[in-house]
Amino acid sequence: MSGQNTSEQPLAPAPSLRELFFGMLQVAISSFGGGLSAWSERIVVEQRRWMSDEEFLTGLTVARLFPGPNQINMAVYIGASFRGLAGALVALAGILLVPFSFLMLLGLAYFYLHEVESVGAVLSGVVAAAAGMALSMGFKIAGQYVRDPVAVVFAAAVFLALNNFHQRLIPVILVSGPLAMAWYWPRRGKRELQP
Amino acid sequence: MSLTIPVLLAAKAACEPVRMTDWHNLLGVIWDFLSLSLFSLGGGNTLLAEYHSIAVHKYCWITSDQFADIYAFAEAAPGPSSMIVGLLGMGAAWREGPLWALLSGIAAETAILLPSTLVMVVASLSWSRFKDSPWRMAFERGMGPITLGILFAVGLKILQTADHTPLAYGVSVLVCFLMLRTKISPLWFMGVAGVLGGLGWISRY
Repeated sequence: MSGQNTSEQPLAPAPSLRELFFGMLQVAISSFGGGLSAWSERIVVEQRRWMSDEEFLTGLTVARLFPGPNQINMAVYIGASFRGLAGALVALAGILLVPFSFLMLLGLAYFYLHEVESVGAVLSGVVAAAAGMALSMGFKIAGQYVRDPVAVVFAAAVFLALNNFHQRLIPVILVSGPLAMAWYWPRRGKRELQP
Repeated sequence: MSLTIPVLLAAKAACEPVRMTDWHNLLGVIWDFLSLSLFSLGGGNTLLAEYHSIAVHKYCWITSDQFADIYAFAEAAPGPSSMIVGLLGMGAAWREGPLWALLSGIAAETAILLPSTLVMVVASLSWSRFKDSPWRMAFERGMGPITLGILFAVGLKILQTADHTPLAYGVSVLVCFLMLRTKISPLWFMGVAGVLGGLGWISRY
């Protein structure tokens, strides 16, 4: 294994639990104002050299694939790959501590103040903008599915079940999930379809 | 029309806020979030409509308007927007005082994150073994369209929760369009809309 990647700077030794915590804390604080994903890569790959670019990208793939918020999953992946369960929990604490405390303070302020008329007036504008963000989520990923009629049928069926027939989310996923997995089960003829 | 209105009123009248200091209820709430955790596809926003139904209709912790407010905070604040669960937990126990509200917020957030975190730890440590498995490929490709369908349903649900006037719908559609076509930070949209709201140009009803 030695002598690989001589052109690149070597990776740092595996971080301790303490370093994991402060590294993730730094990611969280740097990304106030947005861009959590970009900051995560800058700090973990470029500054601290815990992982190569390739390892980091693998982590992102795993984080997106499995349930849970992507950026939190990424922190768990980083922590777990170096220090197992303890590392994952420490990394999780590091990435959540500051933003979650901030949100809790905001929440306390809100529940004290939400009946104040001027606060309500400002919020009535803010919620309309935030709802626009929620609406954009589906459109954002729709492009990659429009050419696959089966994908469109699955998406439409799930949408109708939730929106028009008022089914609950968990049963809808438990029924549609296995069907979709069966349809997309890799077959020889379909191998070359892009992932 | 004539049918839905009395039904809605009846549902509202029947909904009694759950007291979070009652252990039985607290455990029920924690179980709800624990069981949802593993169904958060596509980064977590797929659960928003389910959160609305739990917090507003099932337990009556908060009103629908408050849900819209809380959603906006979770989007505006730094960090993943799925931290909205912490705010829901806080709203759940607000009647018991701020300390209980804080504890309940932390408990709710822990409950929603714990199962997905444990699965993620196992996945991280054994990824090399199943990255080429057909299960992984089928899961990855199959869950995409399902996530798409859920996200549209969630978007519509949030829209109906937040907007009650044509103007508000217009603002939402405009922001949606700008989100897709520009790289402007959404904080600007919320800031500008907040100012317009404060001036009385956008009102909730």
